[in-house]
Order: sequence, then C-alpha cells, then structure tokens
Amino acid sequence: MSTTLNGIGVGQDAVVAEVLQVLPIVDLPKWSLSSLDAEAESDILNSAVRQVEQELKSNAKNSSGETSEIFEALAELLTDSALMGPAAVQLELGWSAAAAYGIAVNEFCEIFSDDPEFQERAQDLQDLSRRVQAAIAGVNLDLELPSTGNLILVGQDFSPSDTAKFGSNIVGVITVLGGPTSHTSIICRSRGIPALVGAGLAGNLVSGSQVLLDPLGNRAVVDGRIEDATPALSFTAVRDLPRIEVRANIGSVADSKQAKVTSANGVGLLRTELLYLSRKSVPPLEEQISDYAEIFHEAPRGPLTVRTLDPEGDKRVAFLPLPSSNEIKNYRVLELHREFLELQLQAIAVAGEQTGREIWVMAPQIGSAQEALDFAALAKKFTFSKVGVMVEQLSLIDEIPKLAGKIDFLSVGTNDLAQNIFGINRMTTSNPELLDPWNPRFVETLGKIATSGKAAKLTLSVCGEVAANPAFAIRLAELGYDSVSVAPTAVASVTNALRS
Amino acid sequence: MTIFKGTLEVTDPIGLHARPASQIVKVVKLAGLPVKMGRDAKSLVVANSPLQLMALKVKSGETLQVTVDAADEAEAMKLVEDIQALLRG
Repeated sequence: MSTTLNGIGVGQDAVVAEVLQVLPIVDLPKWSLSSLDAEAESDILNSAVRQVEQELKSNAKNSSGETSEIFEALAELLTDSALMGPAAVQLELGWSAAAAYGIAVNEFCEIFSDDPEFQERAQDLQDLSRRVQAAIAGVNLDLELPSTGNLILVGQDFSPSDTAKFGSNIVGVITVLGGPTSHTSIICRSRGIPALVGAGLAGNLVSGSQVLLDPLGNRAVVDGRIEDATPALSFTAVRDLPRIEVRANIGSVADSKQAKVTSANGVGLLRTELLYLSRKSVPPLEEQISDYAEIFHEAPRGPLTVRTLDPEGDKRVAFLPLPSSNEIKNYRVLELHREFLELQLQAIAVAGEQTGREIWVMAPQIGSAQEALDFAALAKKFTFSKVGVMVEQLSLIDEIPKLAGKIDFLSVGTNDLAQNIFGINRMTTSNPELLDPWNPRFVETLGKIATSGKAAKLTLSVCGEVAANPAFAIRLAELGYDSVSVAPTAVASVTNALRS
Repeated sequence: MTIFKGTLEVTDPIGLHARPASQIVKVVKLAGLPVKMGRDAKSLVVANSPLQLMALKVKSGETLQVTVDAADEAEAMKLVEDIQALLRG
C-alpha cells in the first residue's frame, strides 16, 4: 500500500515527479558576546542589513504583482525601527551583531506566539533574521537547486527568496509548515506551481522517490500514478443551453462590462454596497439613480437582480452605522435604516425604468418570514419584476413555507450560510474540511432550502462562491435550483459544465 | 495643526498583514503627516513602522481608530481613505 500525506493543496494540476528533500537549514554560528564595542558591531549589523535589503529589492524588481509586493514589504520589515531599536539595545548589552538582531526578532515574534493565525508572519521574520545572520557570518543561504530534471521540492517551509529561485524544473512544492494564505502558497499559486502545504509528515519523504502531488485531493501519494489524481473535472458540452441559468455577480460598472462579454444571462447579484464604500453620507436619490442606470445599461441581457445595501457584509458602509452590539446579525439592522432602504428601492426602480431593464430586488440577511414580508411590502410601493430575499440565516429556512405567494424568489448566499451552519470564519485554516462545499451537512441544507422553496413555488437561485465550482453547479441544478450566479470570470466554465 | 479622527474597516481576508502594513507606512510617509492607528483611542500606535501595525494582530472584520494630525480636514480624510483602500485586500 502506498503512503499518503495529507495537507492543504494549492493549485489545480496534479503532477508526478521525483522528490528532493531540501536539507534542513544551514547551521548558523551560535550567538556570542562581542569582543568589539557596540559601535563596531552596529556597523557590522547595518552593512549586513543593507546587503539583505539589496537582495530583497532586487527580488522585488525581478518579479511582479503580489510576489513583488511581498519582497517590498519584507524589505520594509527588515529595517523596521521595531527591530533595529531593540537590536541596538542588545548591542549595548554586549551581544554581537548577529545575536542582537536574532534576539530582537525572537522578542518581536513572542507577540505572535499566542495565535496560530499569525505563525506565518513570525516565520517571515525568522527568515529575515536568518538572512541577516548568514550575511554576517558570510554563509550562503541560497538553495542549491539542480537546474535539470523535474523535481518536487520538499522542505520545512520555503521563504519568498527561496521560491523566487525556483526554475521551470521545479514542478511541485511540499512543505511541513504553511497554510493557505502563507507566502509560499501565494507565490506558488501566482507562479502556477502546484503545492501541498501544512503536510506535517513531509519530512518522511525520501529524496529520489516518485510522488504524486495531488493538490485537489489535498494529498501527496508515494508511488502514486497521475491517473490516481483527483480529477479537475472536465465537461463536454452536449446541449445548446445550460440546464439552469447562469448569471453574473457584479459590484461596479467595470464588472458589468466584463459580464456583458460572457454568456451570462443577466445578473444574479449586484452588490450595491460596493458602490458606496467610500461615501460618508447617504448618496442622494439622483446620484443613486444615475449609478444604477449606468450599471444596468452595461449589464448582460436578462434579468438584473439587485441586492439592497448589506450594512453587515464584509464590506462596511459608513453612512449606515451598525448598532453598538455586534450580535445583531439580521434584517433588524436594515430596519434601523428603513428610510435609506426606501430611497434605494425608489432609485433602483427609476433606474430600471430609465434603462428598460427587467429588475429583481432582494434584501440580505433576512432572519424570519415576517422580515421578508416587511421587505416585500416596502418593495411593492415601486415596480419590480420580482421581489425576493437572500437565504443566509438558518432561522429563515424553517419559515420558507410561509413565503408562498408572498414573494417571488430566494437567493442563497452560501458564504454566510456555510459560516452560520458551522459557526466558523471563512479564513479559518484549522478546519478546511468545513469549507468544503461537498460537506454533507452543507449539501443537505441546500437541499432542504430547495425542497421547501419549490413547494412554496419560489424561483431559486444560488449566488455564493460555491456556485463557481463547475461540478457543484451541476449538483445545485440537481437539487432543484433554477439559476446560479457567479463571478464574470467563472461564467464560461460553469456554463460549460451545465451544458454537459 | 488639528487632529482629525476616522475609523477604518479591515476587510482584507488575511487581516492587517505584512503587505498592507508596509504599504500603509509608505503612504503615511509620503503624506508627511503624523498618523496613529489602533483598536481604541487609548492605545494607538504611530503608523511609521509596519511591524508595530502587524503587532496589533488585526483580523478581518475588525474596526480600527485612526488619527491624522493635519492642517485641513480634506487632506486628513484623503489620507484616511488611502489607508482604508489598502485594508480591503
């Protein structure tokens, strides 16, 4: 039986290649007290720091995008007064330059030690510390990597500087440490190198053995074959139209234009709060009308679903303050801003009329049938093709039957829904399996919403991130949803899957 | 010079991490205005060190207080907006 290592996969493509264990870190000289005076040691430290700074800046220059920004940031941290100040104190105490910088970094890392979410930042600082100490000792820390063959590199963790040296023969990376948001993951993702991070047992892999790196399966398999890889499903379109409608999620005129060139049938979610994040005061009616009209004008043909401002979304709006208690997590918050809600509905209706578009409106964070009916009553003061609500609060699910004949549609916000089911934050690294859309409890909840929604004769949509997973979109169609709404960039792949 | 106050919403999914912290320090230095940030008005840190900002250990969804010492409000608020933009991720 082959050995399997579990971790967190980064990227889509599986690869089989020979692994190369990168030896644990070069030994640096032990810290010692200095025989020189503090001023001489200070010169040594400054010149080492400058040398490392040069390396980081040249890495920044030779890369682009996020990778380049990471090097820029590391260069800033390296010379930060919060390290250089305490290091100077250590020099005064008689430590040598290498020890002084090392102690300063260790002390600073203490701050992060009580929270696992910040361990990755401490690792970045420790890497800087090692680079400075190596520069002082004249030791070369650079990875000596073969330039030929196809290799999967295995190590504790790779620093951004290491990652920058990976040539095209590095076809995969496996690390003991690291999480989905660590710098190794970000850089591998941007360079298209498949990786498995947080693989605790990676140290057991033997250089020279053949390993299947299967990022979609969150695993690496010794002697695994490429055929065993978790398939990145491919779909062959066999019908002209997708089984259910595919719409686009947008939040700006630019998104609207981007969506227009896809095959999206209308918009399944216009997040209006994104328009007003920098506004300090309520945008007046005329301004709102022209903002919405511009977006409607550019939007792909089909119905346009507009969500009223979500004051509690992950993007906050300054002019709709939340009550002081953060516990209130539903429509009652919008209730506080009823006046604004009415103004917004009016502006949406007028903009729809001006542009001649079919407009659906919906409210976020609805927690009960009564709240849904309140919203519907308000919306019916104006003319909309359809009025609906988002399903993200668990408390609404049991009350869906009461909505029959009162509203027209439901749209499931799967991000908030999943967080509410599992009581977790979406960035959690400790339980990635709970963020897996195929988690049976999650699928069951979506099934329950679909069943009671159908029974109440409501049109059903899913506008959360999971719908962008092509295979999952097919599952949603099977569960009875009438449409999915995804980012413009995902419209093509989801449509293709739904045509299979 | 007057001290202007504002609030910042950290919506970057990774919180206030190395990249935004160093970019904030960059725009603050460029503006040449004294800026302080922190969770509450009593414990603000000077925004001239990315590490001090990272040491606040701010996670996504948190609100921060910010003060800017500036000659006029427009200048201060522009800087607050620039900082806010870097916290969106």
